[in-house]
Amino acid sequence: MKPETVLSSFHAAFGNKILEDRTIERQVGTIDPKPVYDLWIVVDRASLHDAVAHLCEDFNPHLAVISGEDLGSELALNYHFTTGWGEHYGEVTFTIRTLLPKNDLRVPTITDLLPGAQTSEREKREFFGIEVDGIPDDRNLFLPEDMTIHPWRKDLEEETKGSVKRLVKWEERDE
Amino acid sequence: MNNQSINLEIGGGGERTCYTVPIGPTHPALKEPIRFTFDLSGEQIVGVDIKPGFAHRGIEYMGMRRNLIQTLYLSERICGICSISHPLAFTQAVENAAGIEVPPRAQFIRTIIGELERIHSHLLWAGVGAHELGFDTLLHLTWNVREKCMDLLEQLTGNRVDYAIPIFGGVRRDIPEEKAPLAYEALDYYKGLLQQMIDAYLHDKSVEMRTRNVGVMTYDQAIELCAVGPTTRASGVKKDVRVDMPYLAYADMDLHAITPEDFGTEPIGDVYDNIIVRLLEVAQSIEIIEFCLENLPEGELSSIPKVPALLAALKKAEGEGIGRHEAPRGEVFHYVRLVEGQDEMAVWKVRAPTYNNLMPWVPKFLGDEIADIPIIAASIDPCMCCMDRVHVVDEAGLESVRVKEELVRLSREKTRRVCG
Repeated sequence: MKPETVLSSFHAAFGNKILEDRTIERQVGTIDPKPVYDLWIVVDRASLHDAVAHLCEDFNPHLAVISGEDLGSELALNYHFTTGWGEHYGEVTFTIRTLLPKNDLRVPTITDLLPGAQTSEREKREFFGIEVDGIPDDRNLFLPEDMTIHPWRKDLEEETKGSVKRLVKWEERDE
Repeated sequence: MNNQSINLEIGGGGERTCYTVPIGPTHPALKEPIRFTFDLSGEQIVGVDIKPGFAHRGIEYMGMRRNLIQTLYLSERICGICSISHPLAFTQAVENAAGIEVPPRAQFIRTIIGELERIHSHLLWAGVGAHELGFDTLLHLTWNVREKCMDLLEQLTGNRVDYAIPIFGGVRRDIPEEKAPLAYEALDYYKGLLQQMIDAYLHDKSVEMRTRNVGVMTYDQAIELCAVGPTTRASGVKKDVRVDMPYLAYADMDLHAITPEDFGTEPIGDVYDNIIVRLLEVAQSIEIIEFCLENLPEGELSSIPKVPALLAALKKAEGEGIGRHEAPRGEVFHYVRLVEGQDEMAVWKVRAPTYNNLMPWVPKFLGDEIADIPIIAASIDPCMCCMDRVHVVDEAGLESVRVKEELVRLSREKTRRVCG
């Protein structure tokens, strides 16, 4: 998969809805170096589902994982896809980044397009306290079922610390 | 993993009582915690709910509160088996974010240790698989053979696990020329044994009867569920980071992804195909290590050898990076974002292979029998610490817990039954 092919297809389909794009070229190999590419694009939340749908239609993507970051007033989600696998040197990573305002932490599910995204969406849901609209299963996955704190939220840091302190106290009592 | 939607048609027109069976709290296949809740109609599995997280230690949270070298040690302790896979992906992510070069010799040494880890991990898995089926002789034989690899790792790095080889910008230990004969001797030992291993696993009638068409995942399911590693390659998906987007010394080699086609059979995606892929990958790893030893470049071990200078360089770095490594169980993916003037990372996301192989368990379990649970659970080579038990409830809502010993007993009885 050529990086230009993916990017030009996205530019043609989405135009100015792509707020930012970047292609990072890296040289790999010690004898005869060859380039590999990491692609990054930023879209707003309204275009996220369409962007993933476009990717699924033309590029047979694999979702590696969704990562997230608390930026204070906003929360960033990075959907890390890879496409072009099955071919020697054929793969590129393709990350779709979207920002969610802190007062409205909602994102549409992509499990209708790629059922394998469920694990990652459930993890982001519990760790960041975001709502994933349309997710088939919204229970906690890695955290205990009755846990309500969101450990990766920086504005909820005190609650997380309090929970760790309670756990340490409980474990000390156990001895 | 809620699969009420994937109900299977079961004979008897739905009049048979459906039981829900929790299995756990200890894992039926490996010594790690995960809870499976199976819906059973007679002996047949008609639904499964998976709950991991019992071994969640908040490593990413801890890593985002420590400096990068402290976190490197932490990354090595994410998993005991993949104790070089996580540091390999992590160092590459940080190097990509900070723009640090890695000298060629260091790239080759990283690859050698990474491939030795694959050999011992696949042999460990094959032994566990044999145990679940009731062939303890084969388990002991396989694990005895695995010791040679562990000994070699100890001779090369000083440790059987947690080798502490990669550091940002290079490696911490050299493989000196006098150690090479030890490595060649171990590789020759495995080359001589490989055909015997293939005969013992793949040409054995009872292994075939217990694993053929058991725990099947189709090609399409593997793609839409985003499966990784030997689990997806057993279904015929040619996906291998070492081939698709090469890195380290893999970039200098002409590799191909191993699927059951290399054994001359059509991929079905069952447990038998998982054995094929893993055993053939051991052969591939031997070739990779030989290539690396023969072509080991001369030169530096690290581009920034002094630790204080390295920490200072990392503190100045700004940017984001992705690090990927094809671990024995599948792709390990690390995402890192560094902020200038900050010792710790702004974001660290670790994606272990079992994380993506959770969903593929669902189609693998559905339609199979309760006695097949241990071998199917083991077939993806799960690793909970990288990422938890089995729990059974009947239609009246009564829960019962099947302990590991009982499941292994059922699995062994089935082996005896099918072998007459």
